[in-house]
Amino acid sequence: MVVGDVTTGTDVLVIGGGPGGYVAAIRAGQLDLDVTLVEMDSYGGTCLNYGCIPSKAFISATDVAHEADSAERMGVYADPAVDMQGMVSWKDRLVTRLTKGVESLCERAGATLIEGRAEFAGENSARIVQEGEGQGAESIEFEHAVVATGSRPIQIPNFEFDGEYVLSSRDALALENVPEEMVVVGGGYIGMELATVFQKLGCDVTIVEQLEECLPAYGEEVTEVVRERAESLGVDFEFGHAAADWAEHEDGITVHTDAEDGEDGAFDCEKCLVAVGRRPVTDTLNLDAAGVETVDGRIDTDDRARTNKEHIFAVGDVAGEPMLAHKAFREGEVAAEVIAGEPAALDYQAIPAAVFTDPEIGSVGMTEAEAEQAGFDPAVGKMPLRASGRALTLNDRDGFVKVVADAETEFLLGAQIVAPEASELIAELGLAIELGATLEDVAATIHVHPTLSEAVHEAAKGARGESVHY
Amino acid sequence: MAFEYELPDVGEGVAEGEIVAWHVSVGDHVDEDEVLAEIETDKAVVDLPSPVAGTIQELHAEEGDVVPVRSVVVTIDVDGGTDDAEGTADASGEPEAGSGGETATEAAGSEEPSVADGRVFAPPNVRRLARELGVEITAVDGSGPSGRITEADVRAAAEGDDEGTTERSDGEETTGRERTSSGDGQRKSAVKRRSDTERRSATGRRTNGESASADAADRERTLAVPATRKVAREHEVDIDEVPTEKERDGEAFVEPEDIERYVEARESAEVGASVESAEASAEGRPAETTAESEVTAESTAAGTGDRPVSTEPYRGIRRTIGTQMQTSSQTIPHATHHDTATVDDLVEARAELKPRAEDRGISLTYMPFVLKALVAGLKEYPIMNTELDEEAEEILYKEYYNVGIAVATDAGLMVPVVENVDQKGLLDLASEVNELAEKARNREIAPAEMRGGTFTVTNFGAIGGEYATPIINHPETGILGLGAIEQRPVAENGEVVARETLPLSLSIDHRVIDGAEAAQFTNTVIEYLENPTLLLLE
Repeated sequence: MVVGDVTTGTDVLVIGGGPGGYVAAIRAGQLDLDVTLVEMDSYGGTCLNYGCIPSKAFISATDVAHEADSAERMGVYADPAVDMQGMVSWKDRLVTRLTKGVESLCERAGATLIEGRAEFAGENSARIVQEGEGQGAESIEFEHAVVATGSRPIQIPNFEFDGEYVLSSRDALALENVPEEMVVVGGGYIGMELATVFQKLGCDVTIVEQLEECLPAYGEEVTEVVRERAESLGVDFEFGHAAADWAEHEDGITVHTDAEDGEDGAFDCEKCLVAVGRRPVTDTLNLDAAGVETVDGRIDTDDRARTNKEHIFAVGDVAGEPMLAHKAFREGEVAAEVIAGEPAALDYQAIPAAVFTDPEIGSVGMTEAEAEQAGFDPAVGKMPLRASGRALTLNDRDGFVKVVADAETEFLLGAQIVAPEASELIAELGLAIELGATLEDVAATIHVHPTLSEAVHEAAKGARGESVHY
Repeated sequence: MAFEYELPDVGEGVAEGEIVAWHVSVGDHVDEDEVLAEIETDKAVVDLPSPVAGTIQELHAEEGDVVPVRSVVVTIDVDGGTDDAEGTADASGEPEAGSGGETATEAAGSEEPSVADGRVFAPPNVRRLARELGVEITAVDGSGPSGRITEADVRAAAEGDDEGTTERSDGEETTGRERTSSGDGQRKSAVKRRSDTERRSATGRRTNGESASADAADRERTLAVPATRKVAREHEVDIDEVPTEKERDGEAFVEPEDIERYVEARESAEVGASVESAEASAEGRPAETTAESEVTAESTAAGTGDRPVSTEPYRGIRRTIGTQMQTSSQTIPHATHHDTATVDDLVEARAELKPRAEDRGISLTYMPFVLKALVAGLKEYPIMNTELDEEAEEILYKEYYNVGIAVATDAGLMVPVVENVDQKGLLDLASEVNELAEKARNREIAPAEMRGGTFTVTNFGAIGGEYATPIINHPETGILGLGAIEQRPVAENGEVVARETLPLSLSIDHRVIDGAEAAQFTNTVIEYLENPTLLLLE
């Protein structure tokens, strides 16, 4: 302890106020534990401030403009003007509103909120470091700690983020003008979502991806639909190119790439967005002082969200892939409940995921190939959206719903959806999988007509050989 | 090949049976005719033998479940058969299963629906329960649709898990075998548990007072989940006192049922003690009545607000009796006629015949005499040997005389039937009655031996007392209750003399029988009882 430190005690010290941390704090408060939540930036973490929420705000706003502009087929003619600054400030307002909401939820649950950076001083103590390091700091003695420090974007060599030419996703969501051209390095979900947004806003986007396809985790069947849509919007894909360097010139910058086939590329643009993934934040914590170990840069945890130190938990991105806010929510809850002595565990059967491209992707559980690999004999049902009445009335008929089940027992194993609102549609199948439902259960559930959810229904029927509408 | 064994018609006209105890558990191998389960029907317990040899794949009912006849109770993977299940097991990424031999493959096959690559087909609340009860959910067989694991499955597994956990890791080579061995472990513990349960249910709470489980354990440390500790707090029990044989990580492990058992045992020990002292003060009371009086004492305790109470499941024979009594009392307007037979001659005749009967190895009671006298009455008043068919609106006169004899057993009242009483001699009746009563007490009686009665006799006098209000064994229309044969004061020719008397209580179905007929019938029976020589004519 440094002279001048003030020591307080707490049952649960939560480090980081993002989705994992604030949920852990609220849940622990609900369970009558004494909680202290330390946040060094802004409540809500990356998700609320720089990730999910701002990007979805942009996507929705851009879609309004884009759809109005491209509805001639429906007999609608419009030429919407986009005020980028207006869009950004709208996004900022709603982010502020949500972060305040999180803060007050934490307070209402009885959590003590402290601003600053927490670092471990021992197995049961931490220091809160304020601005101006080296000065006296607050020390906290804790019974349990929950590490929820999240992740930060990966930087690649020669492409340090500067906020002017080389942008992180966070920078891109704060741009006040739409660039003329943009190179997006990385064809993962962040790159694809933002590429779509900027292309729709009138920017000419080129995606540089080292691999041979975008969104490789989702498989050709799914990504094909999204890639074709992006191409039709005007996005250029440069597969097999690795970003090597960039240089400034009069009208902007040139991004140089190394290509597998030897034909290295050079792409002129105004801004370069680098979105090649995220890395857990473990270097602000002084983990060694508490004896918490990391594996491949992340904190390894068990099915109770515990680290190698049983009283110290890690939740959310810092605990590794998949880096999804809803995974962090669950982990935060489980950590708090385990601390409170409840028999909670991370026993989910599947974590649903969504990509907010155009059209959206929703996915949960196993793909057909994964089911085969796991030893199942999969029964598969696939309903193309062009057979859905609702999809046609939305003027959006590319995509499908595919469900995968075990042929013998009909237990649902997974589902992939490419469709408008796929992120919403996937919830039903997530619930079905978590409950151990069968194809028959879904097939025998009446779905509202006319909706896209009928495609889920129809796919389940299809897997049983009982398709009616397709 | 999977064989679906349906509950057979285990007795004449039995519609359902209660699974009293499983003798096998999933994964066990059974030979043909090996006993799978004990089934309790109406008033008897019968063994359910396996029709085939094979491995138990699934038990479709739990102990205590009432299962209709012809519904599947157990799935047996018949030896030597091949089927889809094996194919699936091979495909499900368990190549070791094949090398583990036939049993291993079958064991893996039977678990397949719930386990493949970490997927568990159970809703989150059930998975949570499994953690709470310390059950490895991937080892639980589901009984829900398509084998989905239900809350009940997890609870059943938790009960069968007691010792299985320690044996599970006993150095087996392959996954398949480990599963088989864990199955065996479960079976062992299940058998043990069943005998515990059996002891409890057979003797009710009466013996709990003496049983060792009321003795407090005295541990320094006890493992238990928070929910269990809460149960202990609610019962104001120190968890270190709760007796348990379960262990986790080498430490004593307590579950809620252990606490409840302990609390129950402790309470009945207290009640038992108070009853004993009450008995000690009431001199000369026959020992057999303690059972009844203890129950009464307990029910009094149960009725007093938040005083300590304990419960006993209302099922099996108890429930059968209850249902039967309720039916009878709700459909039949009972009237009871009381009278007394002076039976000095009968006592003398029986005393004379007894040694002769003993020479033939037969213990002669008064019952055969009563049966003969009764049948004489029934013959004279056929209305007493009837049944009211309400639907057909007919009174059915029975021209055969099958008399049921109510027998008190540890498990409750049973009524074995002596057939064709009119065609049998005293000694035949004596040995038959003894045999049936013995069977009933040992719960070996077959359902068929308790059916087809036309009239019933209840001999509560064997325990003590004079008059009662017997409840008719529906759909019969009469029941005769016998008090104790004792010397009682009788007025004769202006003087009171001591005579051997037999108090009689006849309940009749007043819809069918009038009071006058009841009185006349009783007079006839008394006439035969008072003049046993008349029985020679029968």
